[in-house]
This record gives sequence, C-alpha cells and structure tokens, in this order.
Amino acid sequence: MAGYIAHRLLWSIPTLIVITIATFVIIQLPPGDYVTAYIAELVETGEVIDAETAAHIRHEFGLDRPMYEQFLTWIGGILLHGDFGLSLDWKLPVSELIWDRIGLTLMISVLSLLMTWAIAIPIGVYSASRQYSFFDHLFTVLGFLGRGIPDFLLALVLMWMGFLYFNFHVGGLFSPEFENAPWSIAKFVDLLSHLWVPVLVLSTGGAAGLLRIMRANMLEELGKPYVETAYAQGLSERQVVWRYPVRVALNPFISTVGWALPALISGDVITAVVLNLPTTGPLLLRSLQNQDMYLAGGFILILSVFTIIGTLLSDILLVLTDPRIRHS
Amino acid sequence: MKSVTLTSIAALTLPFLAANGWAYNEAPMLKQLVEAGQLPPVEERLPKNPRVIPVYDSIGTYGGVMKRAFKGPSDRWGPTKLMEERVVETYMDGEKNLSLVPGWIGEYSVSEDAREFTFKIREGLRWSDGAPVTTRDVRFWYEDVFLNEDLMPSIKALYTSNGVPMKLSFADDYTFAVSFEKPYPLFLTVLAKESTGRPGLDRPGFIEPFHYLKDYHPTHADPTKLDAAIAKYGAKKWTDLWDSKGQIQAWWFNPDMPVLTAWRVKTPPPSDTVVMERNPYYYGVDAEGNQLPYIDQIEHRLFQDPEAINFMAIQGEIDLQNRHINVADFTLLKENEAKGDYTIEKWTKALTWSIIPNLNSADKVKQALFEDIRFREALNISVDRETINELAFSGLGESRQASPISGSPFYDEEAETRWTEYDPDKAAELLDAIGLTERDDDGFRLMSDGRRLSLVLETRWDIQGELLEVVRTYWQDVGIEVLVRIIDRTLYQQHVDTADFDMVLDTFDRSSVITADPLRFLGRYGFAPSYFNWWSTNGKSGEEPPKDHPIRDVWKAWENAQTAHSLEEANAYAQEMVTLHKQYGWHVGLVGETPAVYVRKNSLKNFPAGFVHDDALRGVGLAYPQQLYFSQD
Repeated sequence: MAGYIAHRLLWSIPTLIVITIATFVIIQLPPGDYVTAYIAELVETGEVIDAETAAHIRHEFGLDRPMYEQFLTWIGGILLHGDFGLSLDWKLPVSELIWDRIGLTLMISVLSLLMTWAIAIPIGVYSASRQYSFFDHLFTVLGFLGRGIPDFLLALVLMWMGFLYFNFHVGGLFSPEFENAPWSIAKFVDLLSHLWVPVLVLSTGGAAGLLRIMRANMLEELGKPYVETAYAQGLSERQVVWRYPVRVALNPFISTVGWALPALISGDVITAVVLNLPTTGPLLLRSLQNQDMYLAGGFILILSVFTIIGTLLSDILLVLTDPRIRHS
Repeated sequence: MKSVTLTSIAALTLPFLAANGWAYNEAPMLKQLVEAGQLPPVEERLPKNPRVIPVYDSIGTYGGVMKRAFKGPSDRWGPTKLMEERVVETYMDGEKNLSLVPGWIGEYSVSEDAREFTFKIREGLRWSDGAPVTTRDVRFWYEDVFLNEDLMPSIKALYTSNGVPMKLSFADDYTFAVSFEKPYPLFLTVLAKESTGRPGLDRPGFIEPFHYLKDYHPTHADPTKLDAAIAKYGAKKWTDLWDSKGQIQAWWFNPDMPVLTAWRVKTPPPSDTVVMERNPYYYGVDAEGNQLPYIDQIEHRLFQDPEAINFMAIQGEIDLQNRHINVADFTLLKENEAKGDYTIEKWTKALTWSIIPNLNSADKVKQALFEDIRFREALNISVDRETINELAFSGLGESRQASPISGSPFYDEEAETRWTEYDPDKAAELLDAIGLTERDDDGFRLMSDGRRLSLVLETRWDIQGELLEVVRTYWQDVGIEVLVRIIDRTLYQQHVDTADFDMVLDTFDRSSVITADPLRFLGRYGFAPSYFNWWSTNGKSGEEPPKDHPIRDVWKAWENAQTAHSLEEANAYAQEMVTLHKQYGWHVGLVGETPAVYVRKNSLKNFPAGFVHDDALRGVGLAYPQQLYFSQD
C-alpha cells in the first residue's frame, strides 16, 4: 500500500509541471495581454492612455519579455520563496487574494457536496427499489428539470422570489452591516441566513445528475443473484438493500471524490458571480478575462494540486472499499 | 449648459466670517476628537481662506454613510470620481452655466500672451495628516516625479508645447508659475479634466506630499529605510513602489498616503467593502462656515454581475450610483422606486452611439468605399434612427448625428441633424451611382472586385444586440450585408488600435467641452486610427494620409487651437473641427444624449438635477459630492 502511494506521488510531480506550463501558455494565448485589457477597461470608463505609457507599463510588468522568461520568474518565485507573484489587476500579492477567499469557498462547497449526497443517495435508492412507481416518475421529472435548469438561472429566480415575497436581502453572504465586521455570533447567524441560497442552488443540479447514476447502478445491482440469495435468507428489504447493493452502487461516488476537491475551490463560478458571493470563482473569472496571468496561474496551480491530491485520495478510498480492486 | 466661462472668476472666500470672529463648524465625530485632544481645533485645520463650495439646494447636516457598489480595482473611477481635487475645477450652476473655479489653489492668473499661469496655494492648507501644503510639495512633484525619467519616461503632449515640457518656477512658499514655449490658452480647460499624474488622473496634479513620499524616493530617502520599504511591499526596485505597480502613491490602496480630498481611504481593496472616511483637514466649507464634507463615510461594495447591482438598488442598498446602472433596466428600477425608497435621476450623457467605418481598412476595396462621401451618406440615410431609439433605448435617447451635444459650447444644430433623415430610396440611388449596381443571388450588392458587399461590424457592447440587429436589417434592405460580431473588449481594443476592422459600434463620447479631450475628433477611436497614429507620433509610426486628405485640416485646426493667442481664438479653431466633421460625415451617428441614470436614495439631498454627464466634466464629480447630505427625517 505504501509503495502504491509513493509511486502515485512521484507521478504527480511531472503531471504538475506539465499542467503549470500548459496553463501559463493557455492564459497568454488570447490576443493582447494584461495591459491591453487594462487599457480597454480604462477606455470603457473614460480614461485615455497613450502608446508610450502603455509600453512603459508593459515594461514595468515585464510583459515585454519572452514568455518562457516570465514563466521561469513566476515559477521560480513560487518554488524558492513561496511567492505567487503580484496580481497585475489588484496590485496585491496573489497569495493575499487567494487564501482570503478560500475559507468561505470551502465551506459553501463542502456543504453543497454533502447536500447533494443527502438528496441523491436516498432518492436514488428509493427510485430503484420502487421502479416505475408514482414517486419514481415524479423524481425522474424533477431530476430532469433540476438537470436542465442552469444554476445561474435558478439563482436569479430564487433571488427574485426572495426579494418579491420575503423582502429578503439577497446576494452576498453577509448583510452590508456585517461585511467588514469581525466574526461574532450575530455575524455567523447572518451568514447562515444567506448561505442556504447558494447551497441549494449548487446542490440541485449536481443532485439531479447523481440521482440518475445512483438509480441506474442500483437497478443493476438489485437484479444480481446475491440479492435474490439475501432475500431467500429471509432478510428484510431494508437490510438487503442498504447492506450490499448500496455499497457497490456508491463506487462511482467514491471514484469522483477527486473531482469534487477542485470543484470545491473553483465553485460554480457563474452562480457565485450572480449571487455576488465573496468566493474564489468570481476572482478567477475576472483574472482570466483581464489576463491577470499570475493570479489566474496561481489559482489554476492550486486547483491542479487539489485535483491530484483528490484523485489520489479517491484511488486510496477505492482500494480500501472495493475488495475486487484490492486483490487485483 | 449655456457657456463656458474660462476667465478667472472672483474666488469665493469668507473673509467676513473670520473678520467678524464667527466660528467654523465641524462634524460631531471630529468635534469629539478635538475635545479628546486628538485633533487640533477646526480653525487651525482650515486654511486662512477656505474654499466656499456652494450647495445646490440647502445647507446640510452632518453624518451618514453613503453606500455604493463597485466592480474591483480597475473600476476605481467609481470611488475616485467622487473626490477629485484639481487646481481648477469645472462648476455648473443651477442654471447649467459652466465656469472654471479655483480648487485647492486659492487663486490663479494667466499672462497676457497665455504662456504663463500663476497659481497661489491657499495659505494654511493641510494634507489629511495635518502637514502643511507648500511649494516644496510642488517642487518635489516637478523635479523628482514629473521630470524623473524612471517614473515618467514620456511626458504627455498636454504638458508640453513645441515639444518642450512645461517649466515651473517658485516665487515663495505659496506661489508657483507654469510657463510654456508657446501660447497655450486651453491649458486651464485641460487642467480641469486631467491631473498631471500617470496614469492616475485622480491625483490633485502639480503636487505630491513631500514629507511622506520622500522616504520612498532615492533622491531623498535614507537608503536602508528605502530598502526596508521595498522589502516590506515585496517590490524589486524603488520604482515598483510608484505608479503602475505601487501601493505607496495609490491613495485609495494606501491609507497612509496623505491626500487633499474630502474623504480618504480607510479600508482599502481587496476588502469586499472599500470604505472611505472624512478627511478632518478638508479645506472646503459651505456658505455658513460648516466644514465639508457633510457625509461621514462612503462604502463601496464589491459586486460582479450587473443583476447584482440591480438587486442592490431595488432593495434600497444604494445611496447614489450611476456607474454600471444600465438604461435598459430603467423600467425595472423605476417600478421599484417606492419599495427601495429611491428616485431615478437622469443626467444627459455627452455621447452618441455611432457606427464608425474604418478609413484605414487593410481591404483596399472597402477602404475606397469608406472614403467615398456618397457611401457614407448612403450608410447614414438608410437607417431609421427613431425606431432604433424606441427599440434599443426605450425612446429615452434622441436620434442624432455624432456631434457635440445640445447645450455644449460647441453645439452645431446642422451637425446634429446632418444625414439623419431616413431615406432608403436615395441611399439606393447613391449606392447605384457609386457603381454598386450588380447583385448576387441573395440580393446583396457586389463590390468592384466581384465580392459581395459584406461588412463586419464589431462591438464590445454586448448590451446593444438589439440595436445592431435593427441596423443590420436596414442595411440589408439597401443591399449591404452586415455581419455583427460582439467580441471581448480586449480583442476589440486590439482591433481598433491596429486598424484591423471594417466598422465598429462605439460611443462617440466626450462631446460637451470638446477642447478638454478632442481625440474622437482627431481620429483616435475609430475612423482613422493609423492616420492618427502617424500624426500623434510625428510620423514615427502609423500611416501617412494622402497630401489632400481632409483629416489634415482637422489636425491643423487643432494645432492652431492649441497655440492660439486667446481662448476665443482657440475655441473658434475647435469649432472648425466640428464643421469639418459635419462636412465630411465620417460617422454614422445613431442615437445620443441618452440619459445617465442615477439611483438616488430619497434621503440624499443636494443632488443637482439634469446635469451633463461627461468625462470632461468629471462625471458625478460635477455634483460636488462634498455638499451632498442625508436629511435626518
């Protein structure tokens, strides 16, 4: 087991290097650079920058140097000093911007993930064991609706209804009076009163999809001879279903835990933008739009690390839970 | 807006207050600090002749927090336009007459030949940390910043004449003079709009707090201290602390940076709410001697999505905002006025939505068409502007040609209505007369080389999809195919800069005091980017226009305006640019003078109605936010 993990860890190093290079290149692929984006934004808001000034800024930021040089400076800073560089847009160290927002992002994402599972697993199991029943059909319809409605639209609708019927403060995670306040019980309660909207929005889409997977897996398992055998032994339905088929059917959940981790950080970008959440998603989106490459690169690097760790985790979990994998 | 008075007007002062021994008044929060001994009394904080800022409606009361929204670092105009301080500023009175008034300098004078400008700093004026403002601060800015090539590798043409940068001289602690090689009557007009910093227009201009910044400048700093500062800010060299990368000089990022503005930053970005608090040393008072500003604090809440700001507005969480409020949401905002306890105020935008054909198109056949005045007329008269106004602007705009807006000192009625009459038959005749008579199977005209007459129309304004769709249909009716591309604004910017486009949809803006920023008339943002580039770099880059090209007349007029011997003469030359534009019709102006929509909380008072919204007039700054206040009931 230890050898397996060590082997996997070693492999993640070249993977990371390749991902890092690829992201840096991809961020720079669109025409123009940060300065072009900056000027465009200034023009839109009424300021003029002449060509010489633009060239000067470009030089100041080192954007006139070859890409590999920029890359080496950036990655060198991270490896040697843990310095993720300066966000060109915010004129602040990247690390200062990222870590600030990661806490709230993690909280929302973990809650949504748990909620997703809490919805999908029981309903999936129910639908499979009562196939073609009224509730199975109902859940199927709801599931397809959930899958079909884009999250951002649902967010907008919820916001609108909250405003219209409950005159409810929507958008953001805190009421304005708590935004800059230090943590307190009142602030936490305020947070909870806002938190359910993003959690609900983020979990519905995912739950609808997982629910179908769970149902399909269960149907397959329920038809297998060992289930018949279990029934024949006189076990109750609840005991049969939850002890064996569910465990097997959960397999895809475990193997996708790895993908859940990076999703935790990037969150659902568009939903976060619409709901005005102070999470990492909107920041990542902006940095990509503005070609703020050190900030975007820093984000993507962290996401990649999380993906690699996540995949490793799910592999280990699979080895532990599934005897077929363990023994092969 | 009837006229621009650019001659020095009598500076409003309060000598009688001091003479009669009246006391100045101040905000309760400051009074407490004075009583606690943490702040000197208000008389000592104000200069000897404080600036009297007229109120638009009534003398206000102190207190309150103004809540606003903003989009992040590059949206800094949201916070900063509320609180710019210049040597001279534009003031619009209740009758909408414009005049130039002295700002943080108390008085100014212009020499007979318009070559020398003398400014006198208000005696006793103080930075927000209490340090006195003197010509030492001006000299520091001039010698160590403006003329320092590490910080300013190039000097804006606005601050040079005959290629030579302006010269400053210092008579005493409070008086300094700016002189130019040649007459420069428009200099004050420029100063009311521009600051002298780079790229920060929001700086006061001519001045930097020497006592604070000297520690970060190698000419004055102790090297070990400077190195420590560089290390602290994670910079690589001292210039990193300044300008494009710096935290030091960016007052709205650095709470320690002394300012002259009415508010100073308290909680800087990247906080989710950026907070500004009152500057206890602000030099302005109202007519009764109350120190301004009235409002204690301004909060800017970060948001990303335009819908989020709509929600904030209709829930009554915005006290005053124009930026990012979209005319298209007018109805939504209007319907919820009562619920959100706010009022929608309309100012007039100094712009015309226009389609601009590219005279520098690399496609020679298309370029020849764009250069043909008959083709430009045909493009103009084949669209029905009234319909566009109804469909895309809910009828809130006005169909017009790209030209100075009504009320501008440079307004020309003929220029406004030229080619705006919808006449598709005549347009078709003109196109036939050019020789575009052949048509393909889909009914589109063929160009001289046999290709379909198909023009790509680019824009970065994804909110204007409807407008473009309507225009596309009109032009299709006369046999011109238009392919609409809504593209990312960075790509758009790149295309405009390199003249790599057929036509663009853009806002022909800054059309009130056009002498403050004439770039649109000179070709920069549209109709002839390569020619403009050639002219503005003295032939170093860009493309030289043919000897008889009329754009040369436009440039000539502007050059003459810049070096005229009097302001009247300068304005007359600027008017000539408008006439030339009218004559040659380089733009397809569609709808303009659309409203700048403001959400104003009902309790917020003294906000003037129906002003002109223009960059040259500093946008919301024209409302003098120092004198806004919240009514207590």
